[in-house]
Amino acid sequence: MKRFRLAVPLLLLLVAPVCGADSLGQVLDRENQALGVTQQALPTVDDLAFLRRLTIDLIGRIPTTEEIQQFESLPAATRRQKAVDRLLADERFADRWTVFFADMLRLRTNAEGGAASVAFINRALRDGMGWDEMARRMIAASGKSGATPELGFILGDNADPMALAGATAQVFLGVRVACAQCHDHPFDVWTRKDFYGLAAYFGKTRRVQSQFTNTVYTTEAEQTTVLWPPEGVGEASERKPMLATFPFPAHKGDRPTRPIARLAQLRERLAKLAAAKSNRVQAGKDAGLEALLAAAAGKADQRSSGKKGDSLGVAREAKRDAQNLKISQARYRASQLRTELGRLITDPRNRLFAQSFSNRVWAELIGRGIVEPVDNFAESNPASHPRTLDFLADEFIASGYDLKSIVRLVVNSAPYQRRHAVGLEDPQRIKLEAAFLATPMRRMISEVLYDSIVTAGHLFDVKHEKGKNLKVVWRRTRVAKQPAEPEGKTVKPQTLAAVVKGKPAMKKPTPGGTISPYNVENAIELDFDSLLSESKEEVRIDRMKVMSKEEIEAMRMQQEAANRRPDVRFFDRFIRTSFDDNPRFNTSMRMASPAAPEHFLRIFGQPSRATLDEKRDHTPSMRQALMLLNGRLTHEASRVGELEPMYRLLTGKSRNNTAAVRLAYREILTRSPNSTELTEAVTIVTSAANPLSGMADLRWILLNSNEFRFLP
Amino acid sequence: MSCQDYKLTRRRMLGATGASILGMSVRQLLAAAGSSHKPTAEHVILFWNGGGMTHLDTWDPKPGRPTQGEFEPIQTSASGVQISEIFPQLAKQMHHCALVRSIAGTQGAHGQATYNLQTSYRQAANLRHPGFGSVVVHERDRLGDLPAYISISGRAPRAHYLGQKCEAYFVASPGDKDPYLAFPEGITQIRGDKRLDVLAKFNRRFNGKSVNPKLASNQTAISEAVALMRSPALAAFELDKVPTTTLNRYGDTAFGRGALLARQLVETGVRFVQVNRGGFDTHSNNFPAMQNHGSVMDPALASLIEDLAKTGMLKKTMVIMLSEFGRTPRINANAGRDHWPNVFSCFLAGGGIKGGHVVGSSDKDGMQPDQQPVPVANLHASFCYALGIDPEKQVQTPLGRPMKLVDGGKPVVELFG
Repeated sequence: MKRFRLAVPLLLLLVAPVCGADSLGQVLDRENQALGVTQQALPTVDDLAFLRRLTIDLIGRIPTTEEIQQFESLPAATRRQKAVDRLLADERFADRWTVFFADMLRLRTNAEGGAASVAFINRALRDGMGWDEMARRMIAASGKSGATPELGFILGDNADPMALAGATAQVFLGVRVACAQCHDHPFDVWTRKDFYGLAAYFGKTRRVQSQFTNTVYTTEAEQTTVLWPPEGVGEASERKPMLATFPFPAHKGDRPTRPIARLAQLRERLAKLAAAKSNRVQAGKDAGLEALLAAAAGKADQRSSGKKGDSLGVAREAKRDAQNLKISQARYRASQLRTELGRLITDPRNRLFAQSFSNRVWAELIGRGIVEPVDNFAESNPASHPRTLDFLADEFIASGYDLKSIVRLVVNSAPYQRRHAVGLEDPQRIKLEAAFLATPMRRMISEVLYDSIVTAGHLFDVKHEKGKNLKVVWRRTRVAKQPAEPEGKTVKPQTLAAVVKGKPAMKKPTPGGTISPYNVENAIELDFDSLLSESKEEVRIDRMKVMSKEEIEAMRMQQEAANRRPDVRFFDRFIRTSFDDNPRFNTSMRMASPAAPEHFLRIFGQPSRATLDEKRDHTPSMRQALMLLNGRLTHEASRVGELEPMYRLLTGKSRNNTAAVRLAYREILTRSPNSTELTEAVTIVTSAANPLSGMADLRWILLNSNEFRFLP
Repeated sequence: MSCQDYKLTRRRMLGATGASILGMSVRQLLAAAGSSHKPTAEHVILFWNGGGMTHLDTWDPKPGRPTQGEFEPIQTSASGVQISEIFPQLAKQMHHCALVRSIAGTQGAHGQATYNLQTSYRQAANLRHPGFGSVVVHERDRLGDLPAYISISGRAPRAHYLGQKCEAYFVASPGDKDPYLAFPEGITQIRGDKRLDVLAKFNRRFNGKSVNPKLASNQTAISEAVALMRSPALAAFELDKVPTTTLNRYGDTAFGRGALLARQLVETGVRFVQVNRGGFDTHSNNFPAMQNHGSVMDPALASLIEDLAKTGMLKKTMVIMLSEFGRTPRINANAGRDHWPNVFSCFLAGGGIKGGHVVGSSDKDGMQPDQQPVPVANLHASFCYALGIDPEKQVQTPLGRPMKLVDGGKPVVELFG
């Protein structure tokens, strides 16, 4: 068993390098042959294009010039694999793939428990937690919002059994059963009864909101809310509690046994390592697969019931709350039904779990799923390359459902590294792409586009000298003139303290981050670590009336009207302030998400993560064009700062326009310009009012170009 | 709870598939089945009153009843039609306007009711429906350079499965210039134009002979953006050239400026303008709050109707004022009124709407619909009727689920002349 690698550093020393990658390409080639595909595969992209594509996919931004240089200094034969290893170990890997998971799981940082769940995913990815373990925890989670970070998935649908049944099948298994809630599925095998059987796993779960603290938690009731037959079918008196039934059959053939045996060996080895490390005897010593699976599932159970293994302090918090509020122990009761469901879903014999996830990763990296759309595994929608999909699923299971292993497998393979079919008519191009002989043109996702502009424009750090961006603003304040007062008293604008529950940990917004219509490109950054830290501060609002947004607005308007009393006279006072508007942007990967509807990220397709049917929208729009043509981000990225390397090439004695243009191409497009491009670009730089403006023009053009936005 | 809007059976689906084999799409069939009604409205101005505006203190006064409250009804220019005294100027324009006093709502919470009134659908767990403005611009072509759908002072509902192109263009504050419509500070017109020329050249070279639609559509988006940036029609967003007398006539409030901007925009060809205003959730002190709302809304609405009528634009512009529900006939201990979806009213004018007309009525205390109850979807179907849109037309969601533009309503034909 030399094939897998895990994100466990200890293991890396013991396991020989990967050699599964080549065979993925071979499996695909053989399958294409069997399918009668006669076209030739397109060649792989050149080294720098590969580096750009890989860096974008693995860490969510274009490579820096330092990274390009480092890559070029490696021996040509191994530099691609080395780059893969380096990027998988990069801390941005978890950030980039958190976006992938948050989209899939529809995690919203402004929803109840959502921010903590995003942080949980990020931490799990950094720690190399298997997807099976993550799934079990999220499906079985029970406890308090925020304190049990896995809870966001259940709370995202307000713990509604019907919504959760649809979401669980679609997210974890790629199967759309939601239609079967109201009627038997029109194009598939799912019946309404199947749907109700699945929903019944969630039937006893209750979302509870404490009247005193507004805290939200889940617990399990005795009675299920899922009754059969459905409402409106037959007599109401005939409706009986629906029995939880898992509608997806386990695979019967021998296919699963091979990866399962490998998984068992892997887990055994891991258990031994862990035992040796902690000097404790662990159950995994002679564990068979079943025992190991049960142990993993049990962990989630214990966590949610707060018995032990309580690194997140659920038990302590639960106890304290129970004491404070003298409420029965029934709070935070763990869900046996959902623990069982998590076990069934992640059972390695349930092929759909590994297949659907492998297919999602393949689609994310290649631009087209083997099953397309990725969340529609159905008899009526078969896989284009079932053997290749099986191979991927096997490797994924055998790796312990490890994300990095499957990403490594795909990016090291030939299909990932192939060129786009450029210059071909649509039918031919689509044929090649469907057989994975060419890669489809892909646009950067919104977060990646954002971070790539920030990277290219040196905007993660301050790039201008102090005082070079002084801005003067006039602020208007309303001042009340009252005869009784000796001096004008400033009336503060009415700010209503919003009633914030489970307020996400927020980092200070950047200076100048006041609300302005021209600042929709910045946003609040979340601090994932503090979201997971144990000493979580709680916002306790005792006996406060919960007001609706609309009610608050009504109150505000009334107060405003009251402020216009005739006995108080106001005048406007203008205050001149200046501040150093030295631009700096944070990574979009850690912003509160989904962003506001008019934010850069949303304009470029970040989904609202509200419904199951929503996909990332990659279609261009006028709004997008305006955002990039005239937006602050592109503008600031284009301007040359005194503190960046470019500045020296354009000013002073040793100025060198040719070198400056070459640098611009490398920084922005990860390549050198050809001779035509070079001449043209030098003219742009020299024909402007000064070389710095000329370079800003060139960089603006390159940042707005199709070549920048689409992956090579 | 969800999905009630979707009861497509296998058989009906087979029927639809079969039809398309015969060479006609489902859409064509529906169009053929639909009426050949000629549109009477080309534009819509929708005033969205968030929070649930009281019907009793506005469009449906109940003089002499315990539910009347503090306002008296006044006569209007439409014979036999009385509205609340908080609208003295609008009363003189009521011969252009119509009221529906028998909307039978079903949703009593803000979120669900807003969703229902703005989309005609009930909220579902697995699907989000587009707002009515998105439906209109999906069905009716854009006129001129300006975006077809503009939302002022607040957000319009999203387009969801109708796609990016049907999203509203957002104006945060009427009269404010959108910084994204001009080159960044310090970039002159000449320099910006030069940048755009070179960018187009770079993109042409990169796209090469490729006919990849992804690349081509990106260039289209840039061209559209540039056309908008250079369009003289952009002046329609500005209010600085409006004479002070006009501003004052509209009330010189955010709402008044919103109404004025809406007028300028429809006159420049914008299909759908939504003007948002909140503060109608009057659980306490309903009467001073509504007096205040009246003083803001009355001059703006009255001047808008008057001006649109004067220029002839009212003939083809439908003005709608809508809220998510009405408020309780019973006045609560805080002198407020609470949520009341059972019956409430809306205001309409222009675009084929019969002036001076009232459809339906509530009972003597404004508790329940009395004559001709109008379900919410019927309102939407009526708007569609005026705009020549087939409310039964189906569009596909990303999951391939067919959805009607409107959730099964029937137009209220009495509204039209």
